[in-house]
Amino acid sequence: MSCVKLDWKDDLVAAALAAFVMAVLVSTVGNLGYARDEGFYFYAADAYGQWFELLFKNPGAALERKAIDNAWRVNSEHPGFVKSLFALSHLLLQKKLHVFSMEGTSYRFPGIALAGFAVALVYRFGAEVRGRMAGLFAATALLLMPRFFYHAHLACFDVPIVTMFLLSVYAYWKSLRHGGWAWPVATGISFGLALDTKHNAWFLPILCIVHASVLVLRAKASGRDPKPLLHRALTTLGCMAVLGPLVMYAFWPWIWHDTLPRLRAYANFHLHHEYYNMEFFGQTYWRPPMPRLYSLVMTAATVPMVTLALVAMGLIVCGRKEVKRLRGEGTHHDDAGVFLLWLCGAGISYGAWVFPTTPIFGGTKHWMTAYPFLVLFAGTGFSYLATVLRLELRRSKLERLRQAARGILPVCALFALAIAAPVAETRGSHPWGLSSYTPLVGGAKGAASLGLNRTFWGYTTGAVVDYLNREVPKNGTVYVHDTSWPAWEMLSKDGRLRKDIRGTGTVHEAMFALYHHEQHMQGQEYQAWVAYGTVQPVHVAGIDGVPVIWVYRRK
Amino acid sequence: MKWARAALVFVAVLGVVELGLHVHHAKKSPNAEDWSRLAEAVMQERRDGDVVVVAPLWADPLARQALGDGVFPLRDVARPDMSRYATAFEIGVLGQTSSELGGFRELSRRNAGPFTLRRLENPNYIPIVFDFVDNLEAGRVTVRVTDPAANCTFTANARPIAGGLGGHPTFPKKRFECPGGFFFNVSQTVIADRDFRPRRCVWAHPPNKGEVVVRFSDVPLGNVIRGHGGMYWMIEREGRGASVFVSVRVDGMEVGKYEHRDGDGWSSFEMPLGAHAGKKNAVVEFFVSSKNNQHRHFCFEADSR
Repeated sequence: MSCVKLDWKDDLVAAALAAFVMAVLVSTVGNLGYARDEGFYFYAADAYGQWFELLFKNPGAALERKAIDNAWRVNSEHPGFVKSLFALSHLLLQKKLHVFSMEGTSYRFPGIALAGFAVALVYRFGAEVRGRMAGLFAATALLLMPRFFYHAHLACFDVPIVTMFLLSVYAYWKSLRHGGWAWPVATGISFGLALDTKHNAWFLPILCIVHASVLVLRAKASGRDPKPLLHRALTTLGCMAVLGPLVMYAFWPWIWHDTLPRLRAYANFHLHHEYYNMEFFGQTYWRPPMPRLYSLVMTAATVPMVTLALVAMGLIVCGRKEVKRLRGEGTHHDDAGVFLLWLCGAGISYGAWVFPTTPIFGGTKHWMTAYPFLVLFAGTGFSYLATVLRLELRRSKLERLRQAARGILPVCALFALAIAAPVAETRGSHPWGLSSYTPLVGGAKGAASLGLNRTFWGYTTGAVVDYLNREVPKNGTVYVHDTSWPAWEMLSKDGRLRKDIRGTGTVHEAMFALYHHEQHMQGQEYQAWVAYGTVQPVHVAGIDGVPVIWVYRRK
Repeated sequence: MKWARAALVFVAVLGVVELGLHVHHAKKSPNAEDWSRLAEAVMQERRDGDVVVVAPLWADPLARQALGDGVFPLRDVARPDMSRYATAFEIGVLGQTSSELGGFRELSRRNAGPFTLRRLENPNYIPIVFDFVDNLEAGRVTVRVTDPAANCTFTANARPIAGGLGGHPTFPKKRFECPGGFFFNVSQTVIADRDFRPRRCVWAHPPNKGEVVVRFSDVPLGNVIRGHGGMYWMIEREGRGASVFVSVRVDGMEVGKYEHRDGDGWSSFEMPLGAHAGKKNAVVEFFVSSKNNQHRHFCFEADSR
């Protein structure tokens, strides 16, 4: 595999892709309600924001232990880097510059920007390895995964860790290819940022060690000198070992004091995480054993079928090249083992979900770090099929088709065919991202009939604010169900929800009750039936005719 | 290259097929207009006494929104089981039928737009003579605890209390309030059972010591007292609590005892009435107790038939 040397035009394409993604996400963020966890991160970001303000005004006071601990204790079960970005974005873009029409968007913007960066990086990675067409298709396919598209809007860590994970892997790959110090240092820094984003980063050293070990063994087996490769790998791993923790430490003030106990508490929180409920084929799982096929089935049910077919195509193409390379056939130089790296990147992201003790409550977001690698294979598959198409057209007896083979039109047509369904599915999924399913399971209706999770996180409150604004009397009360308080309050701050409408924590205190459907939440609906003396919802909203959230009104 | 050509054709065709399927699934009826038009057909086909069942279950809120409490009374929506109904009326969409009606015999079938409307009869129906949940009201019912002995006062206008997210079922405004706090009340409520299904029942949290006794007077009896017991799902599934016992006495004589163990789910009991069968105005008492009453969010329903 000979790699493509990228130039300024590729930088331009990557920048255009990032800008396009950010523009699409910002333009569609307005009707997406706030997820439960976003509410907690708004609260944390506000606490960190106050600390940053103090830091800018009076650095000495901000750096006192009491000030640090008071601010950074909030949500200390997650690292601080991305929440710091939420805080700084809010301070700068909203409070100072008033960039966005809704306050919540300022918290979401760093996640949106990192989503744009992820798509751009996928383009670069794909283009460099397999050509520009592969990169472009891979980048497009990532954006057109409905679940990725949903998470890309949020002030959460799931898309940021996708970006940081991919960035670390890309920098590691460049280190192996080019040697020197720049890329190993970049790998160490990006690994540190990943560590300071989400705990998925813990898998990165394993990925790199396994990958480097296989490459060294492969070099030995094929009679090549493994020392240069070993040297580059050790340099990179050394940078990760040294710079990773340093960067994490630098950007997370919470661990500036009592470092080891606080790191231990952070690790223990995730290693012994509580099991929440998640429905899968009509059964709510809440303790081990969890279904081993959950991650694979959910991937198949939520990633567009044509994308998955192209992933399979890419795997076949890469597999064939690998076999030829091992046999010493052809001229496939792959000294940095990029296909193996992509495979490891996807594999390790799914790996934890093979174990029946791994919680499944987060749905597809937990293994989303695999998706850039899946689409890189899809890009490879697409690029291969584009080549096949051109060859077939050149062999055609029709002169017009032979001429067409020289132009861009046939490949554009194939591109359009391959993204038409993902475009429609992603467009149709908004603002119901977590309720969307592909035709493989019959769409949203089929998934509901199969008993796949309808929604979680209580974010679909955003889809009924128009109804509430219209129907709730002045100073009226609404039971918010699964919506977290800061998420509810943000709808009000945004001006999306009337400011006089008050949220309550129980149905009996309220005139209206929201119900976000999850199998294990149904008792909430029954609470409303008894309290309000009716089983008739006054408003039902959902995707493709499948109810996701509905509203009861006291009779 | 043959396989490569085939792969090219496959991906191209898949792209078109997937797009078509997506559009088909997204647009597939019923839509909001179909649901709003359903009322007329249901009025024509449904008979008084038919319990209305929706298949698939996820469409139930849409049917309730369209047809209202008249077609979906709470007592039917949160039914204990199907055995108490002579006839059922099924609203089916997407060709689906309800597994709850598996033993029923189809009487009629009609297509109304995207809906399939079926009337069915229960071949094993035995009429209910008395429903204890329906009749939980002051006048006919008294409630007391035994240790220490105290009466539970009925109030018709208490403040309803719901547990909120992850909390207890709603305790309605009409309830018997026993000593020990609001959990120790006896009232009609709806629990989410172990399988999350709604069950309308008599909330009867056993007291710390002794029993809570729910006494019904002037009860006409059939041949058996039949019922179910269950607990709020979150507690039931933990499997850590003590058993709850329900002793049923008719005119002072025990006719049966039911034990509910965590994990049993919404489980049934049936107690033959023997010499009490057919009485016109018996006194029926339910004695509810547990050796350890921590988190015993017990709820039962019963009838005589």
